[in-house]
Amino acid sequence: MIGRFSFGVVLVANRGEIAVRIIRTVQKLGLQSAVVYHEVDARSLAVTLADHAIKISGKTPVSSYLDADQIIAAALSVGAGAIHPGYGFLSENAGFARAVGAAGLVFVGPSASAIELMGDKIRARNFVARSGFPVAPSAIEEDDPGTFLDRARAVGAPLLVKPSAGGGGKGMRIVRDLAELDDAVAQARGEGQRYFGDGRLYAERFVERPRHIEVQVLGDSFGNVVHLHERECSVQRRFQKIIEETPSPALSTDLRKSICETAAGIARAAGYKNAGTVEFIYGRGEFYFLEMNTRLQVEHPVTEMTTGLDLVEQQLAVSAGHPLAFKQDDVRPSGHAIEARLYAEAPERDFAPTTGKVLALEYPKGDGVRVDSGIAQGQLVTTAFDPMLAKIIVHAPTRTEAIARASQAIEDFVLLGCETNAAFLGRILRDEGFKAGEVHTGYLDEHPRIAKGAAPDEGIQRRLLAAAALLTRPVRDAAHAVPALHASLGSWRN
Amino acid sequence: MQRVSSLIDTRDDDYRANDLHNRRLASELKERQKVARHVRPERDRERLRRQNKMFVRDRIEALLDPGTPFLELSTLAGNMAYDGEVPGAAQVTGIGIVSGKEVIVHADDASVKGGAWYPLSVKKIVRALDIAIENHLPVVHLCDSAGGFLPLQAEFFADRYFAGRIFRNQSILSKMGVPQVAVVMGHCTAGGAYIPALSDYNIIVRGTGAIFLGGPPLVKAATGEEVTVEELGGADMHTSVSGTGDYAASSELHAIAIARDIVERFRRPEKAGVDWIEPEPPAYDPEQLYGIIPRDPRVQFDMREVIARMVDGSRFHEYQPRYGQSLICGFARVHGYQIGILANNGVLFNDSSLKGAHFIQLCDKNRTPLLFLQNITGFMVGREYERRGITKDGAKLIMAVAGASVPKFTVVCNGSYGAGTYGMSGRAFDPRFMFSWPQSQVSVMGAEQAAGVLTDVKLRQLARSGLQLSEQETAAIRDPVLEDYRRQSSAYYATSEIWDDGILDPVDTRNAIGISLSAALNAPIASPHYGVFRM
Amino acid sequence: MHHTFDIGGNSHAIWLSRSAEEYRLTLAEDRSAVVAFVQTRDGEGRLTVDGSSEPIAYVVEGDTVHIHLRGRSYAVRYVDPLVALAVEADTAGHHIARAPMPGVVVSVKAVVGERVVAGTVVAVIESMKLETAIRAAQDGIVEKIHVTAGESFDRDAALVTLSREAS
Repeated sequence: MIGRFSFGVVLVANRGEIAVRIIRTVQKLGLQSAVVYHEVDARSLAVTLADHAIKISGKTPVSSYLDADQIIAAALSVGAGAIHPGYGFLSENAGFARAVGAAGLVFVGPSASAIELMGDKIRARNFVARSGFPVAPSAIEEDDPGTFLDRARAVGAPLLVKPSAGGGGKGMRIVRDLAELDDAVAQARGEGQRYFGDGRLYAERFVERPRHIEVQVLGDSFGNVVHLHERECSVQRRFQKIIEETPSPALSTDLRKSICETAAGIARAAGYKNAGTVEFIYGRGEFYFLEMNTRLQVEHPVTEMTTGLDLVEQQLAVSAGHPLAFKQDDVRPSGHAIEARLYAEAPERDFAPTTGKVLALEYPKGDGVRVDSGIAQGQLVTTAFDPMLAKIIVHAPTRTEAIARASQAIEDFVLLGCETNAAFLGRILRDEGFKAGEVHTGYLDEHPRIAKGAAPDEGIQRRLLAAAALLTRPVRDAAHAVPALHASLGSWRN
Repeated sequence: MQRVSSLIDTRDDDYRANDLHNRRLASELKERQKVARHVRPERDRERLRRQNKMFVRDRIEALLDPGTPFLELSTLAGNMAYDGEVPGAAQVTGIGIVSGKEVIVHADDASVKGGAWYPLSVKKIVRALDIAIENHLPVVHLCDSAGGFLPLQAEFFADRYFAGRIFRNQSILSKMGVPQVAVVMGHCTAGGAYIPALSDYNIIVRGTGAIFLGGPPLVKAATGEEVTVEELGGADMHTSVSGTGDYAASSELHAIAIARDIVERFRRPEKAGVDWIEPEPPAYDPEQLYGIIPRDPRVQFDMREVIARMVDGSRFHEYQPRYGQSLICGFARVHGYQIGILANNGVLFNDSSLKGAHFIQLCDKNRTPLLFLQNITGFMVGREYERRGITKDGAKLIMAVAGASVPKFTVVCNGSYGAGTYGMSGRAFDPRFMFSWPQSQVSVMGAEQAAGVLTDVKLRQLARSGLQLSEQETAAIRDPVLEDYRRQSSAYYATSEIWDDGILDPVDTRNAIGISLSAALNAPIASPHYGVFRM
Repeated sequence: MHHTFDIGGNSHAIWLSRSAEEYRLTLAEDRSAVVAFVQTRDGEGRLTVDGSSEPIAYVVEGDTVHIHLRGRSYAVRYVDPLVALAVEADTAGHHIARAPMPGVVVSVKAVVGERVVAGTVVAVIESMKLETAIRAAQDGIVEKIHVTAGESFDRDAALVTLSREAS
């Protein structure tokens, strides 16, 4: 039960499916929604739904959504009292959070200082370690360059060497045999210099077959912090998540409790306000803090499905100054939820991006099926933005039933006109390893056949060709043109 | 229409012996056709590959609509000429379906002597274009010829129906509004250059096709000018500078795709209205023809049994069944089309000649095409018959055959001798299509008879000089004549000389007639009118 | 000449014939099936192959038929032989550098009229945060540049045309 809000209009500084999702909650709460959009998104679903739509521009479409000044000006122009940044773009930009506050608007998210703290990976890591929470053993070169190699050796193999200025996996090297450490360090340094202009490194314990476990946390401005349990996001490729679920099939009850309380503890220690996610690396009974994302995450719906909470609603309530309406013990998730991300890419062709136009679109329906989508029929799919098209989220009493429901939902999802990774998602869900809950972040790389798939079998090909032949004018016309006598004689020769 | 009731017993010895014999003849035919169509010295195949050219049969398969029939004409042209070195006379012609339309395909076979035109090659091309004219069929030329075979020029150059007739026919087709497309896949030199030039549309394949009245060597010899094939007459020059070529293609398949697209533009002609109903297969198995045709060509058989294995439902409406019984006349359907059949059960008498002439007029008035099934040794001779006017009755039959406006089709089933050949619509009487069965014979009289006559003449000559010959010496005169006659009256000789449009396996006759009929109906049918019947 | 359809980069030769009120689809090697399709509503229909019938969703867009069949989507593209076979004509004297995948042009490195050798980088494109250099496949002269920096393009889009130097 939410009381009155201090703002009547919320501007969504984002696009695509998350903009749609946020607008829906804003409208559900009886507030007005506003959205900024670049020309290429002029006909998008978010623009259609929002009460106000303000056009913005930039050298590239992406750059317009990164233009803090335009966004704030847009918010002011429609009398918005709050700005929700969604995820990506400016959501973890402390400067933007500050500017929003300076403009007299409410930033729906944590404080700028929390963003800054957790945005600097090394600073965040140090803070968490100092606060007494588990981080992966590591050696930071900057602490003492002279002893770096020794300290790295002391961490022990397997070891991950990476540029401290880096991200996105560039320059990272796994060292399994300490004899290779010197070479790995030299190479990583060279790449760090080349890609980031900074050759400084850090080395940390590498967890073999690591699983990515993250915990949703929520804090209010009164110091209350709860966790909303974990999500497992181990099915990924090149650090891009593909399938997420809750609860994690890897954790025992005790471990689950331990990881979740650790996350809440970290958020509490940081005085965290609003929604956030603490990410851990888990393997062989050990877990280490990886990083904290100070925003709403893409995969938040799985948490909503099992807890029954609307996280955007919680964010708006916290931002409006309300205390959390429930305690930790009130959070009792049930059942199992899985989210699959539909991307405009072709896993069968080495994940090459695809483009096209949404010619036909039909979402799966039914109990326990939810689709978060930002696309609409007739929309062009281009490479201007991130290729995620929609999220298919299912909920069922057990994991087995959830997997079956997700498979069915993906099959029932009709999108014609742009190639997607739907078949790949189906293959993952049918994979024995996945069904046994035995995935880790390198699983897809270890099993390239899942991505490759197989060419459609002869029976399917025949059906496709039959349909296409009957629906293609030149083919049908050619069939009709042959006189009946000759058609009946077939390939007769004398 | 009632079904023919067959009296054939498929289990009797005669039937089985005939069956064995005729199946052997049929498989011999298939084998000889296969060799003529496909067997080539490896060096000729290799040369085509080096020149980046497709084999003619592959070109034709790519040209035709898949899953459609191709009625090839005169496959064995030239099989008994030029020492057998020019199979098919280096030409492939036939009726096929391109983009849904019935067309005449005319293709040079460059794997045989470079596709050079021998006298029989020219005859085969002229015949194909005559068929196109008579039946108003569009033509697709696949040109790839080395030009005329000069050592034999006297036999293909100057006369009325020699090479010039090809270009005359092309011009007449164009005048008639019947379109032609030429695909230039080799050098079209000198006379050959006129085939694409006289076609309504032409396509030249870049790199291998060329059109010029004189090639580079001739040009150099004539004027000293040095010029390459492409510059002189290649695709790019003709399609962008001279305008002699309409389309430039980057490959043979591309050219064929363009040709198909052009044929798709042709206006679909109105077919002549001939009675037609849904087809049905014969009630008797057509393969029984093998058992019915006697292995000895001198043995008579009932043509009704042949008809029963060729027509829809084996249904036959016989006309004047009790009169002139040596000529069977009646109505039937082939692939749904109603036709009038004339078939021989013996020599032609007065009554059968009159019956035939009458029946032809009935069919003509009824707009019913005619099918002649020949097994004829001739007209009856003798005093009684002459007094009854057999000559003028034969003349009436010939007048009717010659004058009929409906399309005529002739199949030489067995013997075809003397004036009987004429009365039963032989080659000279313009059947739209004429086919032979493997064992058939065509000559002025039977070989034995002819050999007998000639030997008698010789013996009498010698007798006047007082000479008497022994059996052996008589045989020495008789046998070579017999040999020669047999050879020259065989179906293989006739087809070699293109006296017919091809030898058919008897069981293929039904389909060949169906396809021919359908093609023939592309031309309108004139009203009936005849010369004077000597009454 | 058969019809050609492309499914996922693989070519299929087929022919459709009609006899006695039914359609027959013939695939290469003489395999054939009796086929029928009936539209049930806009974008949906029933496909029958050799007697077995099932629902499909479909959209026809130009030469491509998009089909959703048994839980998967496919794009089946009709390849006009006149277009497919003529492509070679282009390369006689010209070479067109095409985009291997959709993306955005980062920079154009070549200038019209410039003489380049095989391997010269003529443009740099970016796709999925990976930069790819587009190189001249053969020696030649830059005849036309089809894109500008910042422009996005689809797979197979023409980027730069080179003409072979006149010999």
